[in-house]
Amino acid sequence: MSVSIDWLAFFEVFVAALAGAVLVVGFYALGLRMLVRAGRAPVVAPAEFTDAITVITEKEAKRAAKAAAKAARKSPLTEGQKTLALVAAVAAFTVSGLAVLGGLLLIVIH
Amino acid sequence: MEAAVFIVVLVIALALFFDFTNGFHDTANAMATPIATGALKPKVAVLLAAVLNLVGAFLSTEVSKTISHGMIREDGIDPAAFLPIIFAGLIGAITWNMLTWLLGLPSSSSHALFGGLIGATLVGASVLAIDFGVVLSKVVLPALIAPFTAGVIAFAATKVAYGVTRRYDNKPDGRDGFRWGQILTSSLVALAHGTNDAQKTMGVITLALITAGFQDASHSDPQFWVIFACAFTIALGTYMGGWRIIRTLGKGLTDVKPAQGFSAESSTAATILASSFFGFALSTTQVASGSVIGSGLGRRGSKVRWRTVGRIAIGWLLTLPAAAAVGALAALIVVWLGPVWGVTVGAILALAIILGIFWRSRKSAVHAGNAMSEVADSGHAVKVKRNPPPTRRQRAIMREQARLKAEQEAREKAERKAKAKADAKKAADEKRAADKIKADAAKASKKAAEKKRAEEKVKAKGSAGKGKGKGKGTGKKDASKKADEARAGADSHTGEAQHGAKKKGAGK
Repeated sequence: MSVSIDWLAFFEVFVAALAGAVLVVGFYALGLRMLVRAGRAPVVAPAEFTDAITVITEKEAKRAAKAAAKAARKSPLTEGQKTLALVAAVAAFTVSGLAVLGGLLLIVIH
Repeated sequence: MEAAVFIVVLVIALALFFDFTNGFHDTANAMATPIATGALKPKVAVLLAAVLNLVGAFLSTEVSKTISHGMIREDGIDPAAFLPIIFAGLIGAITWNMLTWLLGLPSSSSHALFGGLIGATLVGASVLAIDFGVVLSKVVLPALIAPFTAGVIAFAATKVAYGVTRRYDNKPDGRDGFRWGQILTSSLVALAHGTNDAQKTMGVITLALITAGFQDASHSDPQFWVIFACAFTIALGTYMGGWRIIRTLGKGLTDVKPAQGFSAESSTAATILASSFFGFALSTTQVASGSVIGSGLGRRGSKVRWRTVGRIAIGWLLTLPAAAAVGALAALIVVWLGPVWGVTVGAILALAIILGIFWRSRKSAVHAGNAMSEVADSGHAVKVKRNPPPTRRQRAIMREQARLKAEQEAREKAERKAKAKADAKKAADEKRAADKIKADAAKASKKAAEKKRAEEKVKAKGSAGKGKGKGKGTGKKDASKKADEARAGADSHTGEAQHGAKKKGAGK
C-alpha cells in the first residue's frame, strides 16, 4: 500500500487562494478609498436583521452620512481631481470584479 | 438484478436526502457574515444562497470524481455486496448529520459522508478496499490544512482591507461600502459551496451507478440528470433549512465588521474554489470558521480564545470517526441480515431516526425571526478590543503631536518666566525710588527741625537776657512751649513729605 501525497497541489491551492483573495479585497478596498477621495463616501445602512444581531442603528448611519457630507464639503480637491478619483474607484472595482470572473472562468474551462 | 435496482433506487433516494441535509446543515454558513453585519436580509440571503448553490453545482465535477473514482477501490469488491455498503455509509452520514444539526454541535457534512462510507466499507468489505492514499491526500490532509490556510489568507486580506482604507485625518474611511462587497463575496461562497458540496452526493450516486453497472467505470463524470438532481436538492435544502444554522451565528458574530466579513468571505470562497479545481473535498463549515478566526486576528488588538478554538476543533475531529462508527453499525446490520433484508431494515431504521429527529426539531421551530448559525463559535474564538491600540503610523503621529505640544509649553513657560523677571525688576526700581524720596524727605525734615531748634535757641537766649527779672519759671515755660511747637511743626512737615512720596509712588 503506497501513499503518495501531492504536496505541490496544496501549495498551489494556497498561493492561488491567497493571490485571489488579496487581489479582490485589495482592489475593492482601493475602490472604496478612491470613492471617499472623490467626495462620495459610501454610507450603507444595514438591511433588516434579526434581534440577535446588533450592527449600527439608523441614527448612527445618519450621523455617518452627515459626517461624510461635511467631509465632502471640506474636500480641497478640484472638480477634475474628484472626477479622476471617481474614475480610479470605478477602475479598481472593475479589476476586483474581473478577478472574480477570471477565477470562475478558470474553474469552468478546466 | 431487481434487488440491485431496488438498492440503487434506495441509495439514490438516500443520497439525495443527504444532499438535502447538507444544504440544511452547511449552506447557510455562506450567508453568515452578511446577515451578521446587516448587509443582507436573512430571507434574501438564504434565497440567494440556494440559487447560487444550484448554479455552482454545474461548474465543476472534480470533487465528484474524487469520491466516485478514488477513495474506494470498487473493482476489488463484489458489486452485489458493495451497493448495500454505500447505503449503510449514507445512513451513517445522514444520522450523524441530523443528530449534530439537532444538537447544534460543530460538525461537517462532508466528513460525515466520508466517515460513513469508510466505516461501512471497513465492515462490509475489507481494509484493502479503501485507498488510504487518496483518503489522506484528498480528504484528511485538506481537512486539516484548509481551515488553517483559509485563516492565514483571511488574516492577510483583513490587514489589506483595513490598511488601504485607514484614514489619519479623522475623515470618513468608506468602510461601510464593504457591506455592498459582502453581497458579492457571500454569493461567491454560496457558489463555491455548490462546486464542492453538491458534488459529494453526485460522487456517491455515480459510484452506485458504476457499481450496479449502469455507468461505464472508465467514465467517472456524473451524468447530467445526476448533476441536476443534486444541484436542485442542495438548493432546496439550503432554502428550507438555513434558518436553524443562521440562528447560532447571529449571537456569535456580533463583532464582525463589514471589512472583516468581506475579507473572511473572500478567503473562504477563494480557498474552496481553488480546492474544487484540484478535486479536494473540503468542509465549507471548517473553511468558513477558519476564515472568521483569521479575519478576527487581522484586526488590531485581537486575542484568540483557545478554549473555544479547542472545542470547535474537537467537534471537527470527532465527526469522521463518529460517522464512521454509525456507518459501520449500519453495515453490520446489512452484513448480518443479508443485502435485501439488511437494506430494508436499515432503511426503516434510518427513516425512524430521521422522523424522530425531525419531530424533535419541530418543538423549537426556527424561522427568519430567530435564525442563527454554527460558525458562531468561530466568532467567539477571537476577542477583539473595542478600542484597539494605535498603528505604527498613528503612534508616529501621536509622538509628533506630543513633541509639538511640549515645545509649545516650554515656549510659554519661558515667556512667563521672562515676564515675571521683568515685573520683579520694575517693582524693585519703584521701591528704590520710593525709598530715596522717603530718605530725602526725612533728611529735609531733620534739617528743618535743626534749623528751628537753632532759631529757638537763639530766641531763647535773647529772651533770657531781657526778662531776667521777671522770673525764671515763666521764661523756662515759654521756651519749652515754643520748642514743642517747633517739633510739632517739623513732624507735620515730615508727614506731609512722606505722604507726598507715597502718593508719587502709587501714581507711578
